[in-house]
Amino acid sequence: MFLHKGKSFGFILIFSLILFIFIALPFFIDLFYQTFLTELFVWILFAISFDLIFGYTGLLSFGQALFFGLGSYTVTISILKMGLNTELALLLSIIIPMIFSWFVGYFSVKLSGIHFVIITIIFALIGNIIGETWTAFTGGSDGLTFSPPPFRLGLFKVNLIDIKGNYYFVLALVALSYLFLRRMVQSPLGKVFISIRENEDRARLIGYNVQRYKLIAFLIAGGLSGLAGGLYSLTLKYAAASYLHWSISGHAVVYTIVGGMGTLMGPVLGAGIVMSLEHYLVNFLQATDLVVGIVLVFMVLMAPKGLVGLIQSKLKRKEASA
Amino acid sequence: MISNLAVAFLNAVVWGLIMALIALGLNMIFGLLHIINMAHGALYMLGAVVAWYLIEFTGNFWIALVVAPLFVALVGILMEKGLLRSIEDKPITTIICTFGIMLVIQQLVLTIFGGSPRRIAAPIPYRFQLFQLQYPLMRVVVAIISILVMVGLWFFLRKTKYGLWMRAVVQDREMAVGLGIPVNKVYMWTFILGSALAAFSGVLAAPIVSVDFMMGREVLIMAFIIVIVGGMGNLEGSVIAAIMISMIQGIGALFVPPAIATVFALAFMIIVLLFRPQGLFGE
Repeated sequence: MFLHKGKSFGFILIFSLILFIFIALPFFIDLFYQTFLTELFVWILFAISFDLIFGYTGLLSFGQALFFGLGSYTVTISILKMGLNTELALLLSIIIPMIFSWFVGYFSVKLSGIHFVIITIIFALIGNIIGETWTAFTGGSDGLTFSPPPFRLGLFKVNLIDIKGNYYFVLALVALSYLFLRRMVQSPLGKVFISIRENEDRARLIGYNVQRYKLIAFLIAGGLSGLAGGLYSLTLKYAAASYLHWSISGHAVVYTIVGGMGTLMGPVLGAGIVMSLEHYLVNFLQATDLVVGIVLVFMVLMAPKGLVGLIQSKLKRKEASA
Repeated sequence: MISNLAVAFLNAVVWGLIMALIALGLNMIFGLLHIINMAHGALYMLGAVVAWYLIEFTGNFWIALVVAPLFVALVGILMEKGLLRSIEDKPITTIICTFGIMLVIQQLVLTIFGGSPRRIAAPIPYRFQLFQLQYPLMRVVVAIISILVMVGLWFFLRKTKYGLWMRAVVQDREMAVGLGIPVNKVYMWTFILGSALAAFSGVLAAPIVSVDFMMGREVLIMAFIIVIVGGMGNLEGSVIAAIMISMIQGIGALFVPPAIATVFALAFMIIVLLFRPQGLFGE
């Protein structure tokens, strides 16, 4: 009990420290890096929502791009074509992908292992083809551009066209989502997810309705992926059919594997490191994904628990020798 | 109309046979090693790209058709021995690892070969009369070569020592080890064959489609569909499924937009996955 309290105290300390750094940072960096960091926050959100289904529940879904793209289109179309206000559009970018993830999940969780991976790819592929073909509605591969109207949120006036305003807005929502997911994986519900990952048959024998819990994890991840897509569109003021392609899910896979799956902190670290690496490499290499691929293969083979796993085992060794 | 239908029919047969070769490679690797090779499409693409270089240097398509698969087979050995050997018993991990390998191959080709698509001229430029239209003879030759390769593969699996070993390992790995079958060698040979088949079909497809670093992406998905509809580990099923799906797509595209035909094929696959995960032709 005491240990647990100590742990969560340490977490609050580190979390506030990191948050404080990110709140202060825009005063020291130029607009280019502010945009870069905003995009990083969005991918972090996408990666931690993926970590919930892959890292915690053990379901490798390459279909998350579908929900990311849907969220991004929900925001874009409801502002551009329906004239909705920004906060409502963003709310819808959680709800609509959740409805779709209920549909996709309903069928997908009936399968497991490789079959699950493939069926999620297929669903995303159908979404991508529809997005590419139905150009009157989606703009196809050219995409749609829009500008989000400013709105009031309690005491704050939020203007997302202002880069700094956009930065703080995305940071706040991603930080809240992180806390929400952390709370969730530590709750009894989260323990059921982990038990499914560790041994599905045993979880079923204990009496849990495994498919229902998988569906719950899939729904939450779908909603948060949608939010990530919505925020991405609000940041770029743009949505395109390519966001729906299953290979977009690869981003979340890479960040989660490099950082360490089933840790939440891992995907954050992974996204930060991989995106910084890409950003640095783009100066003298056309194919930045080359390095990303090499890093991914290396981590899968050498450190399957990711960077967080490496750090943890280092700390444990130190404890043991002390 | 009749000539359009005939051309669509012939195209569907040719493309179906090429897809069958790709799917056979994917399915052999899956049936034996239980690895879903996400890099299979990239190996297909690599075959076509290597062939393009070989044709630039030698000017001969047929040399490329033999040498490019050998080169890609070498890449396959490196993949299997160097990377996948240690994680072969973890299917989900191998999916992620081969996804990474796919990225590496694609991006390496992008760096060296460039991003713009290139063409390989058909080595047999003749066309023959098909009702009111002309049809390239090369495509018929491609179909015949594909059939010959499949017959050769059948003989290899049924009549040779390695083929027998492979089938034994698929049936019962533990027993095969117990009987002294060199399982690791069998794995390696399967991977070599699978990679070479992917590259071989890449070279065969090159005069029909254009060669670029992304050409394997859609083919990979089609190969998945074929393997699942035909049944995982069921090689005959893959061949039938490849031709069937190619027919439905090709002839269907005459009547509905091709995108819709693809969506229907994908939806059909979801139904197969849900209700007959062992494939349409499995027992």
